[in-house]
Amino acid sequence: MIDIRNLTKRFNGFTAVDDVSFEVRKGETFALLGPNGSGKSTILKCLAGLSQPTGGQITVNGIDALKNPRASRGSLSFLPQRVGFHDCLTAHEVLDFFCRLRNLPASRIDTVLHGSEFDFNGFSHKQVSELSGGMRQKLGLAVACLPDAPILLLDEPTVSLDPAGAIGFRHFLKALKEKEKTIVFTSHVLADVDMLADRVAVLVDGKLVALETIEALRQKTRDRHQTLEEVYLDYAKAN
Amino acid sequence: MEISSVITIARQELTVAIRNKWTIIFASAFGALVLVISYFGTMTAGEIGFQGFNRTTASLLSLALYLIPLVALMMGTQSFLNEGGDEMLYSQPISRGEVLAGKILGLFAAIMVATFVGFGIGGLIIATQADAGDFIGYPVFVALSLILSLVFLSLSILVAVACGRKAKAYGVSLLVWFFFVIFYDLLVLGGSLLFNERTANQFIFVSLFGNPVDMVRVAGLLSLRGGEIFGAAGAALLKFLGGEAQGITILVISLGVWVIVPFLISIRLLRTQDI
Repeated sequence: MIDIRNLTKRFNGFTAVDDVSFEVRKGETFALLGPNGSGKSTILKCLAGLSQPTGGQITVNGIDALKNPRASRGSLSFLPQRVGFHDCLTAHEVLDFFCRLRNLPASRIDTVLHGSEFDFNGFSHKQVSELSGGMRQKLGLAVACLPDAPILLLDEPTVSLDPAGAIGFRHFLKALKEKEKTIVFTSHVLADVDMLADRVAVLVDGKLVALETIEALRQKTRDRHQTLEEVYLDYAKAN
Repeated sequence: MEISSVITIARQELTVAIRNKWTIIFASAFGALVLVISYFGTMTAGEIGFQGFNRTTASLLSLALYLIPLVALMMGTQSFLNEGGDEMLYSQPISRGEVLAGKILGLFAAIMVATFVGFGIGGLIIATQADAGDFIGYPVFVALSLILSLVFLSLSILVAVACGRKAKAYGVSLLVWFFFVIFYDLLVLGGSLLFNERTANQFIFVSLFGNPVDMVRVAGLLSLRGGEIFGAAGAALLKFLGGEAQGITILVISLGVWVIVPFLISIRLLRTQDI
Protein backbone atom coordinates (compact mmCIF):
# COMPACT_ATOMS: atom_id res chain seq x y z
CA MET A 1 0.00 0.00 0.00
CA ILE A 2 2.89 2.32 0.83
CA ASP A 3 6.37 1.76 -0.52
CA ILE A 4 9.24 4.02 0.52
CA ARG A 5 12.60 3.47 -1.18
CA ASN A 6 15.83 5.22 -0.14
CA LEU A 7 13.98 8.25 1.18
CA THR A 8 16.32 11.10 2.08
CA LYS A 9 15.42 14.56 3.29
CA ARG A 10 17.94 17.28 4.03
CA PHE A 11 17.24 20.77 5.43
CA ASN A 12 20.06 23.28 5.01
CA GLY A 13 22.74 20.61 5.31
CA PHE A 14 20.99 18.75 8.15
CA THR A 15 19.88 15.22 7.24
CA ALA A 16 16.45 14.66 8.78
CA VAL A 17 15.79 11.36 6.98
CA ASP A 18 18.71 9.28 5.80
CA ASP A 19 18.17 6.64 3.11
CA VAL A 20 15.12 5.06 4.72
CA SER A 21 13.26 2.19 3.00
CA PHE A 22 10.23 0.23 4.15
CA GLU A 23 6.82 -0.83 2.95
CA VAL A 24 3.47 -0.87 4.66
CA ARG A 25 1.00 -3.57 3.63
CA LYS A 26 -2.70 -3.11 3.06
CA GLY A 27 -4.64 -3.18 6.33
CA GLU A 28 -1.48 -2.94 8.41
CA THR A 29 -1.03 -0.60 11.37
CA PHE A 30 2.52 0.64 11.24
CA ALA A 31 4.20 2.67 13.99
CA LEU A 32 7.13 5.01 13.53
CA LEU A 33 9.02 5.19 16.77
CA GLY A 34 11.98 7.31 17.71
CA PRO A 35 13.24 10.19 19.84
CA ASN A 36 12.53 13.83 18.99
CA GLY A 37 14.20 14.85 15.74
CA SER A 38 14.57 11.28 14.52
CA GLY A 39 12.67 11.99 11.28
CA LYS A 40 9.28 10.41 12.04
CA SER A 41 7.18 13.46 11.26
CA THR A 42 9.31 14.30 8.21
CA ILE A 43 8.57 10.86 6.74
CA LEU A 44 4.83 11.38 7.28
CA LYS A 45 5.05 14.86 5.72
CA CYS A 46 6.83 13.41 2.68
CA LEU A 47 4.08 10.79 2.39
CA ALA A 48 1.39 13.49 2.65
CA GLY A 49 3.06 15.61 -0.04
CA LEU A 50 3.88 18.44 2.36
CA SER A 51 7.65 17.98 2.18
CA GLN A 52 9.66 17.44 -0.97
CA PRO A 53 12.16 14.60 -0.47
CA THR A 54 15.79 15.29 -1.38
CA GLY A 55 16.03 11.77 -2.79
CA GLY A 56 14.25 8.46 -3.02
CA GLN A 57 10.88 7.18 -4.17
CA ILE A 58 7.45 7.06 -2.56
CA THR A 59 4.58 4.98 -3.91
CA VAL A 60 1.14 5.36 -2.31
CA ASN A 61 -1.64 2.98 -3.33
CA GLY A 62 0.24 2.24 -6.55
CA ILE A 63 0.69 5.95 -7.40
CA ASP A 64 4.08 7.62 -7.63
CA ALA A 65 3.59 10.26 -4.92
CA LEU A 66 6.40 12.46 -6.20
CA LYS A 67 5.24 12.53 -9.81
CA ASN A 68 1.51 12.68 -9.06
CA PRO A 69 1.12 14.12 -5.56
CA ARG A 70 -2.49 15.19 -6.03
CA ALA A 71 -3.72 11.69 -6.95
CA SER A 72 -1.59 10.19 -4.20
CA ARG A 73 -3.11 12.56 -1.61
CA GLY A 74 -6.54 11.41 -2.77
CA SER A 75 -5.81 7.97 -1.27
CA LEU A 76 -4.84 9.24 2.16
CA SER A 77 -5.77 11.39 5.10
CA PHE A 78 -3.20 13.14 7.23
CA LEU A 79 -3.51 14.31 10.82
CA PRO A 80 -0.61 16.65 11.65
CA GLN A 81 0.96 16.97 15.08
CA ARG A 82 -0.41 20.50 15.48
CA VAL A 83 -3.91 20.93 14.20
CA GLY A 84 -4.97 24.51 13.69
CA PHE A 85 -8.30 25.73 12.43
CA HIS A 86 -9.78 29.23 12.23
CA ASP A 87 -11.01 30.16 15.70
CA CYS A 88 -14.17 31.84 14.43
CA LEU A 89 -15.51 28.75 12.62
CA THR A 90 -17.62 26.09 14.29
CA ALA A 91 -16.44 22.48 14.30
CA HIS A 92 -19.28 21.64 11.91
CA GLU A 93 -18.17 24.41 9.51
CA VAL A 94 -14.60 23.07 9.58
CA LEU A 95 -15.89 19.61 8.68
CA ASP A 96 -18.13 21.07 5.98
CA PHE A 97 -15.14 22.93 4.47
CA PHE A 98 -13.02 19.77 4.18
CA CYS A 99 -16.05 17.82 2.95
CA ARG A 100 -16.48 20.28 0.07
CA LEU A 101 -12.75 20.26 -0.72
CA ARG A 102 -12.91 16.49 -1.19
CA ASN A 103 -16.23 16.69 -3.10
CA LEU A 104 -17.83 14.44 -0.48
CA PRO A 105 -21.57 14.33 0.20
CA ALA A 106 -22.63 16.42 3.23
CA SER A 107 -23.99 13.23 4.80
CA ARG A 108 -20.36 12.19 5.49
CA ILE A 109 -20.23 14.78 8.28
CA ASP A 110 -23.10 13.10 10.14
CA THR A 111 -21.62 9.66 9.47
CA VAL A 112 -18.33 10.73 11.06
CA LEU A 113 -19.98 12.63 13.91
CA HIS A 114 -22.45 9.96 14.88
CA GLY A 115 -21.24 6.70 13.41
CA SER A 116 -17.90 6.02 15.04
CA GLU A 117 -16.78 4.71 18.39
CA PHE A 118 -14.78 7.84 18.95
CA ASP A 119 -16.90 10.51 20.58
CA PHE A 120 -17.07 13.45 18.17
CA ASN A 121 -20.43 14.56 19.49
CA GLY A 122 -21.21 17.46 21.74
CA PHE A 123 -18.94 20.00 20.14
CA SER A 124 -19.91 20.15 16.50
CA HIS A 125 -21.64 23.53 16.88
CA LYS A 126 -19.02 25.05 19.17
CA GLN A 127 -16.55 27.53 17.73
CA VAL A 128 -12.95 26.32 17.49
CA SER A 129 -11.95 29.08 19.95
CA GLU A 130 -14.11 27.37 22.58
CA LEU A 131 -12.48 23.96 22.12
CA SER A 132 -9.72 22.62 24.38
CA GLY A 133 -6.49 21.25 22.88
CA GLY A 134 -7.87 17.73 23.16
CA MET A 135 -11.14 18.65 21.49
CA ARG A 136 -9.25 20.33 18.64
CA GLN A 137 -7.26 17.13 18.25
CA LYS A 138 -10.56 15.21 18.09
CA LEU A 139 -11.77 17.63 15.45
CA GLY A 140 -8.57 16.99 13.50
CA LEU A 141 -9.27 13.26 13.72
CA ALA A 142 -12.82 13.87 12.54
CA VAL A 143 -11.48 15.78 9.52
CA ALA A 144 -8.99 12.98 8.81
CA CYS A 145 -11.83 10.43 8.89
CA LEU A 146 -14.17 12.38 6.59
CA PRO A 147 -12.99 10.98 3.24
CA ASP A 148 -12.92 7.35 4.44
CA ALA A 149 -9.54 7.14 2.71
CA PRO A 150 -7.82 3.73 2.59
CA ILE A 151 -4.65 5.18 4.21
CA LEU A 152 -4.44 7.22 7.42
CA LEU A 153 -1.29 9.05 8.45
CA LEU A 154 -1.40 10.17 12.08
CA ASP A 155 1.38 12.26 13.62
CA GLU A 156 1.40 11.94 17.41
CA PRO A 157 -2.39 11.51 17.46
CA THR A 158 -2.76 11.18 21.24
CA VAL A 159 -0.42 14.03 22.15
CA SER A 160 -3.17 16.45 23.30
CA LEU A 161 -5.70 13.92 24.49
CA ASP A 162 -6.60 13.33 28.13
CA PRO A 163 -6.54 9.70 29.39
CA ALA A 164 -10.20 9.17 28.48
CA GLY A 165 -9.58 10.68 25.05
CA ALA A 166 -6.52 8.48 24.53
CA ILE A 167 -8.52 5.36 25.44
CA GLY A 168 -11.29 6.50 23.07
CA PHE A 169 -8.72 7.01 20.36
CA ARG A 170 -7.33 3.49 20.79
CA HIS A 171 -10.85 2.05 20.44
CA PHE A 172 -11.34 4.22 17.40
CA LEU A 173 -8.10 3.04 15.80
CA LYS A 174 -8.99 -0.58 16.52
CA ALA A 175 -12.30 -0.04 14.74
CA LEU A 176 -10.41 1.36 11.75
CA LYS A 177 -8.09 -1.65 11.79
CA GLU A 178 -11.12 -3.90 11.58
CA LYS A 179 -12.18 -1.97 8.48
CA GLU A 180 -8.79 -2.90 6.94
CA LYS A 181 -7.52 0.66 6.83
CA THR A 182 -3.79 1.06 6.39
CA ILE A 183 -2.56 3.22 9.26
CA VAL A 184 0.84 4.79 9.78
CA PHE A 185 1.29 6.65 13.03
CA THR A 186 4.08 8.19 15.07
CA SER A 187 4.04 8.08 18.83
CA HIS A 188 6.14 8.46 21.92
CA VAL A 189 3.59 6.46 23.88
CA LEU A 190 4.86 2.90 23.79
CA ALA A 191 1.60 1.62 25.25
CA ASP A 192 -0.16 2.87 22.08
CA VAL A 193 2.42 1.15 19.91
CA ASP A 194 2.18 -2.09 21.89
CA MET A 195 -1.60 -2.10 21.76
CA LEU A 196 -2.17 -0.99 18.17
CA ALA A 197 0.79 -1.59 15.88
CA ASP A 198 1.38 -4.66 13.76
CA ARG A 199 4.92 -3.56 12.89
CA VAL A 200 7.27 -0.92 14.22
CA ALA A 201 10.04 1.04 12.54
CA VAL A 202 12.56 2.53 14.96
CA LEU A 203 14.30 5.67 13.75
CA VAL A 204 17.35 7.33 15.28
CA ASP A 205 18.96 10.45 13.77
CA GLY A 206 17.00 9.96 10.57
CA LYS A 207 18.19 6.37 10.09
CA LEU A 208 16.04 3.28 10.21
CA VAL A 209 17.67 1.18 12.93
CA ALA A 210 15.06 -1.53 13.35
CA LEU A 211 12.02 -2.83 11.55
CA GLU A 212 10.22 -5.41 13.65
CA THR A 213 6.82 -6.96 14.08
CA ILE A 214 5.28 -6.09 17.41
CA GLU A 215 5.45 -9.81 18.25
CA ALA A 216 9.22 -9.84 17.70
CA LEU A 217 9.56 -6.82 19.96
CA ARG A 218 7.46 -8.50 22.65
CA GLN A 219 9.59 -11.62 22.35
CA LYS A 220 12.69 -9.50 22.98
CA THR A 221 11.13 -8.07 26.13
CA ARG A 222 10.48 -11.62 27.34
CA ASP A 223 13.96 -12.93 26.37
CA ARG A 224 15.78 -10.01 27.95
CA HIS A 225 13.35 -9.56 30.85
CA GLN A 226 13.02 -5.95 29.78
CA THR A 227 10.10 -3.60 29.35
CA LEU A 228 9.22 -2.31 25.89
CA GLU A 229 10.69 1.06 26.87
CA GLU A 230 14.02 -0.60 27.75
CA VAL A 231 14.13 -2.51 24.46
CA TYR A 232 13.42 0.73 22.61
CA LEU A 233 16.13 2.58 24.56
CA ASP A 234 18.62 -0.16 23.71
CA TYR A 235 17.94 0.47 20.02
CA ALA A 236 18.35 4.20 20.49
CA LYS A 237 21.61 3.85 22.46
CA ALA A 238 23.11 1.31 20.07
CA ASN A 239 22.92 3.86 17.28
CA MET B 1 -7.01 24.09 -11.58
CA GLU B 2 -10.35 22.94 -10.16
CA ILE B 3 -12.68 25.89 -9.73
CA SER B 4 -14.80 24.16 -7.05
CA SER B 5 -11.79 23.90 -4.70
CA VAL B 6 -10.90 27.55 -5.36
CA ILE B 7 -14.47 28.66 -4.55
CA THR B 8 -14.61 26.52 -1.39
CA ILE B 9 -11.39 28.09 -0.07
CA ALA B 10 -12.52 31.58 -1.13
CA ARG B 11 -15.84 31.15 0.71
CA GLN B 12 -14.05 30.17 3.89
CA GLU B 13 -11.63 33.13 3.62
CA LEU B 14 -14.56 35.51 3.19
CA THR B 15 -16.41 34.02 6.18
CA VAL B 16 -13.29 34.25 8.35
CA ALA B 17 -12.54 37.83 7.26
CA ILE B 18 -16.12 38.90 8.07
CA ARG B 19 -16.24 37.07 11.44
CA ASN B 20 -12.82 38.37 12.47
CA LYS B 21 -14.30 41.88 12.07
CA TRP B 22 -11.62 42.90 9.53
CA THR B 23 -14.26 43.59 6.92
CA ILE B 24 -16.47 45.54 9.32
CA ILE B 25 -13.53 47.62 10.59
CA PHE B 26 -12.40 48.51 7.06
CA ALA B 27 -15.96 49.22 5.87
CA SER B 28 -16.44 51.58 8.84
CA ALA B 29 -13.08 53.23 8.17
CA PHE B 30 -13.85 53.69 4.47
CA GLY B 31 -17.33 55.09 5.20
CA ALA B 32 -16.02 57.48 7.86
CA LEU B 33 -13.24 58.60 5.50
CA VAL B 34 -15.72 59.50 2.75
CA LEU B 35 -17.99 61.46 5.08
CA VAL B 36 -15.19 63.30 6.90
CA ILE B 37 -13.47 64.28 3.65
CA SER B 38 -16.71 65.36 2.06
CA TYR B 39 -17.90 67.33 5.10
CA PHE B 40 -14.68 68.93 6.28
CA GLY B 41 -12.85 69.02 2.95
CA THR B 42 -13.39 72.74 2.42
CA MET B 43 -12.83 73.77 6.02
CA THR B 44 -9.60 75.58 5.13
CA ALA B 45 -11.68 77.82 2.83
CA GLY B 46 -13.90 78.66 5.81
CA GLU B 47 -16.76 76.42 4.72
CA ILE B 48 -18.19 73.32 6.31
CA GLY B 49 -20.69 71.01 4.61
CA PHE B 50 -20.88 68.15 2.15
CA GLN B 51 -19.00 68.73 -1.12
CA GLY B 52 -19.96 67.19 -4.43
CA PHE B 53 -18.53 63.91 -5.68
CA ASN B 54 -15.78 65.32 -7.87
CA ARG B 55 -13.90 67.14 -5.13
CA THR B 56 -14.53 64.41 -2.58
CA THR B 57 -13.28 61.72 -4.95
CA ALA B 58 -10.10 63.64 -5.78
CA SER B 59 -9.30 63.99 -2.05
CA LEU B 60 -10.28 60.38 -1.37
CA LEU B 61 -8.00 59.13 -4.14
CA SER B 62 -4.92 60.56 -2.41
CA LEU B 63 -5.84 58.94 0.89
CA ALA B 64 -6.91 55.62 -0.65
CA LEU B 65 -3.50 55.30 -2.29
CA TYR B 66 -1.98 55.15 1.21
CA LEU B 67 -4.70 53.11 2.90
CA ILE B 68 -5.73 50.41 0.39
CA PRO B 69 -2.22 48.94 -0.18
CA LEU B 70 -1.68 48.74 3.58
CA VAL B 71 -5.05 47.07 4.19
CA ALA B 72 -4.45 44.50 1.42
CA LEU B 73 -0.89 43.70 2.54
CA MET B 74 -1.92 43.21 6.17
CA MET B 75 -4.97 41.09 5.32
CA GLY B 76 -2.97 38.97 2.88
CA THR B 77 -0.12 38.31 5.31
CA GLN B 78 -2.55 37.49 8.12
CA SER B 79 -4.37 34.96 5.96
CA PHE B 80 -1.46 33.27 4.21
CA LEU B 81 0.55 32.66 7.33
CA ASN B 82 -2.14 31.03 9.41
CA GLU B 83 0.41 29.31 11.64
CA GLY B 84 -0.24 25.63 12.30
CA GLY B 85 -3.43 25.59 10.28
CA ASP B 86 -2.32 24.81 6.79
CA GLU B 87 -0.87 21.31 7.00
CA MET B 88 -4.31 19.71 6.85
CA LEU B 89 -5.34 21.98 4.00
CA TYR B 90 -2.26 21.29 1.87
CA SER B 91 -2.54 17.53 2.50
CA GLN B 92 -5.89 17.45 0.69
CA PRO B 93 -5.98 16.34 -2.97
CA ILE B 94 -5.81 19.92 -4.24
CA SER B 95 -2.97 21.86 -5.82
CA ARG B 96 -1.07 24.62 -4.05
CA GLY B 97 -2.12 26.99 -6.83
CA GLU B 98 -5.76 26.31 -5.97
CA VAL B 99 -5.08 27.15 -2.33
CA LEU B 100 -3.42 30.45 -3.26
CA ALA B 101 -6.09 31.36 -5.80
CA GLY B 102 -8.87 30.56 -3.30
CA LYS B 103 -7.25 32.63 -0.58
CA ILE B 104 -6.67 35.65 -2.78
CA LEU B 105 -10.20 35.45 -4.20
CA GLY B 106 -11.76 35.21 -0.73
CA LEU B 107 -9.74 38.13 0.59
CA PHE B 108 -10.57 40.17 -2.47
CA ALA B 109 -14.26 39.42 -1.90
CA ALA B 110 -13.86 40.61 1.71
CA ILE B 111 -12.22 43.87 0.57
CA MET B 112 -14.97 44.26 -2.05
CA VAL B 113 -17.63 43.94 0.66
CA ALA B 114 -15.82 46.50 2.85
CA THR B 115 -15.34 48.84 -0.11
CA PHE B 116 -18.92 48.62 -1.37
CA VAL B 117 -20.42 48.99 2.09
CA GLY B 118 -18.07 51.76 3.27
CA PHE B 119 -17.81 53.82 0.10
CA GLY B 120 -21.40 52.89 -0.87
CA ILE B 121 -23.04 54.20 2.31
CA GLY B 122 -20.74 57.24 2.28
CA GLY B 123 -21.61 57.89 -1.37
CA LEU B 124 -25.35 57.57 -0.72
CA ILE B 125 -25.16 60.14 2.08
CA ILE B 126 -23.24 62.58 -0.15
CA ALA B 127 -25.77 62.00 -2.95
CA THR B 128 -28.60 63.04 -0.64
CA GLN B 129 -26.75 65.99 0.90
CA ALA B 130 -24.77 67.50 -1.98
CA ASP B 131 -24.61 67.85 -5.74
CA ALA B 132 -24.88 64.32 -7.18
CA GLY B 133 -24.52 65.45 -10.78
CA ASP B 134 -20.80 64.73 -11.05
CA PHE B 135 -20.84 61.26 -9.47
CA ILE B 136 -19.33 59.35 -12.46
CA GLY B 137 -15.77 59.62 -11.16
CA TYR B 138 -16.82 58.06 -7.83
CA PRO B 139 -17.58 54.52 -9.08
CA VAL B 140 -14.43 54.69 -11.21
CA PHE B 141 -12.49 55.56 -8.06
CA VAL B 142 -14.10 52.60 -6.24
CA ALA B 143 -13.20 50.28 -9.15
CA LEU B 144 -9.59 51.55 -9.17
CA SER B 145 -9.38 51.07 -5.40
CA LEU B 146 -10.46 47.46 -5.85
CA ILE B 147 -7.88 46.86 -8.59
CA LEU B 148 -5.20 48.38 -6.33
CA SER B 149 -6.27 46.09 -3.49
CA LEU B 150 -6.00 43.06 -5.79
CA VAL B 151 -2.46 44.07 -6.83
CA PHE B 152 -1.36 44.38 -3.20
CA LEU B 153 -3.11 41.15 -2.20
CA SER B 154 -1.10 39.42 -4.91
CA LEU B 155 2.08 41.09 -3.61
CA SER B 156 1.15 40.06 -0.07
CA ILE B 157 1.04 36.38 -1.12
CA LEU B 158 4.46 36.72 -2.67
CA VAL B 159 5.82 38.32 0.50
CA ALA B 160 4.19 35.68 2.71
CA VAL B 161 5.40 32.75 0.57
CA ALA B 162 8.92 34.17 0.28
CA CYS B 163 9.23 35.03 4.00
CA GLY B 164 7.55 31.97 5.51
CA ARG B 165 7.31 33.42 9.01
CA LYS B 166 4.60 35.83 10.11
CA ALA B 167 6.73 38.42 11.92
CA LYS B 168 9.19 38.63 9.02
CA ALA B 169 6.35 38.83 6.49
CA TYR B 170 4.69 41.73 8.37
CA GLY B 171 8.02 43.57 8.41
CA VAL B 172 8.64 43.01 4.70
CA SER B 173 5.01 43.99 3.93
CA LEU B 174 5.57 47.33 5.64
CA LEU B 175 8.75 47.81 3.63
CA VAL B 176 6.86 47.01 0.41
CA TRP B 177 4.18 49.53 1.37
CA PHE B 178 6.79 52.18 2.23
CA PHE B 179 8.66 51.53 -1.03
CA PHE B 180 5.67 51.87 -3.35
CA VAL B 181 3.76 54.59 -1.50
CA ILE B 182 6.61 56.88 -0.48
CA PHE B 183 10.10 55.89 -1.54
CA TYR B 184 9.55 54.99 -5.20
CA ASP B 185 8.55 58.51 -6.29
CA LEU B 186 11.56 60.00 -4.51
CA LEU B 187 13.78 57.45 -6.21
CA VAL B 188 12.34 58.24 -9.65
CA LEU B 189 12.56 61.99 -9.14
CA GLY B 190 16.13 61.66 -7.91
CA GLY B 191 17.00 59.39 -10.83
CA SER B 192 15.49 61.81 -13.34
CA LEU B 193 18.01 64.47 -12.27
CA LEU B 194 20.74 62.36 -13.82
CA PHE B 195 19.30 62.79 -17.34
CA ASN B 196 18.60 65.65 -19.73
CA GLU B 197 15.01 66.90 -19.88
CA ARG B 198 13.81 64.70 -22.73
CA THR B 199 15.36 61.51 -21.36
CA ALA B 200 14.19 62.42 -17.85
CA ASN B 201 10.58 62.72 -19.09
CA GLN B 202 10.80 59.33 -20.80
CA PHE B 203 12.37 57.87 -17.68
CA ILE B 204 9.52 59.19 -15.54
CA PHE B 205 6.84 57.92 -17.96
CA VAL B 206 8.35 54.46 -18.14
CA SER B 207 8.90 54.36 -14.38
CA LEU B 208 5.14 54.90 -13.97
CA PHE B 209 4.66 51.23 -14.89
CA GLY B 210 6.99 50.17 -12.10
CA ASN B 211 4.63 51.35 -9.40
CA PRO B 212 0.96 50.24 -9.23
CA VAL B 213 0.18 53.06 -6.79
CA ASP B 214 1.30 55.65 -9.33
CA MET B 215 -0.61 53.89 -12.09
CA VAL B 216 -3.84 54.05 -10.07
CA ARG B 217 -3.13 57.69 -9.19
CA VAL B 218 -2.71 58.65 -12.86
CA ALA B 219 -5.69 56.55 -14.00
CA GLY B 220 -7.84 58.09 -11.26
CA LEU B 221 -6.87 61.66 -12.10
CA LEU B 222 -7.36 61.01 -15.83
CA SER B 223 -10.85 59.67 -15.22
CA LEU B 224 -11.76 62.47 -12.83
CA ARG B 225 -10.37 65.54 -14.46
CA GLY B 226 -8.83 64.55 -17.76
CA GLY B 227 -5.30 65.17 -18.91
CA GLU B 228 -5.35 68.93 -18.35
CA ILE B 229 -4.73 68.45 -14.62
CA PHE B 230 -1.15 67.40 -15.36
CA GLY B 231 -0.22 70.53 -17.35
CA ALA B 232 2.49 70.35 -20.04
CA ALA B 233 4.08 67.24 -18.60
CA GLY B 234 0.65 65.62 -18.54
CA ALA B 235 0.06 66.45 -22.19
CA ALA B 236 3.31 64.66 -23.01
CA LEU B 237 2.23 61.74 -20.80
CA LEU B 238 -1.11 61.50 -22.59
CA LYS B 239 0.69 61.57 -25.91
CA PHE B 240 2.94 58.81 -24.60
CA LEU B 241 -0.09 56.75 -23.48
CA GLY B 242 -2.12 57.52 -26.64
CA GLY B 243 -4.96 59.64 -25.18
CA GLU B 244 -7.15 59.55 -22.07
CA ALA B 245 -9.27 56.45 -22.76
CA GLN B 246 -6.36 54.50 -24.22
CA GLY B 247 -4.17 55.66 -21.33
CA ILE B 248 -6.61 54.38 -18.71
CA THR B 249 -6.93 51.08 -20.61
CA ILE B 250 -3.15 50.64 -20.80
CA LEU B 251 -2.82 51.43 -17.10
CA VAL B 252 -5.56 48.97 -16.10
CA ILE B 253 -3.99 46.21 -18.27
CA SER B 254 -0.60 46.94 -16.70
CA LEU B 255 -2.19 46.68 -13.26
CA GLY B 256 -3.50 43.27 -14.36
CA VAL B 257 0.09 42.25 -15.05
CA TRP B 258 0.96 43.41 -11.53
CA VAL B 259 -1.70 41.01 -10.20
CA ILE B 260 -0.74 38.02 -12.34
CA VAL B 261 3.07 38.11 -12.17
CA PRO B 262 3.46 38.09 -8.34
CA PHE B 263 0.74 35.41 -8.16
CA LEU B 264 2.54 33.15 -10.65
CA ILE B 265 5.89 33.65 -8.91
CA SER B 266 4.21 32.77 -5.59
CA ILE B 267 2.84 29.51 -7.01
CA ARG B 268 6.25 28.64 -8.42
CA LEU B 269 7.93 29.34 -5.08
CA LEU B 270 5.31 27.48 -3.07
CA ARG B 271 5.53 24.37 -5.26
CA THR B 272 9.11 23.76 -4.16
CA GLN B 273 8.59 24.67 -0.51
CA ASP B 274 7.95 22.41 2.46
CA ILE B 275 4.76 23.17 4.35
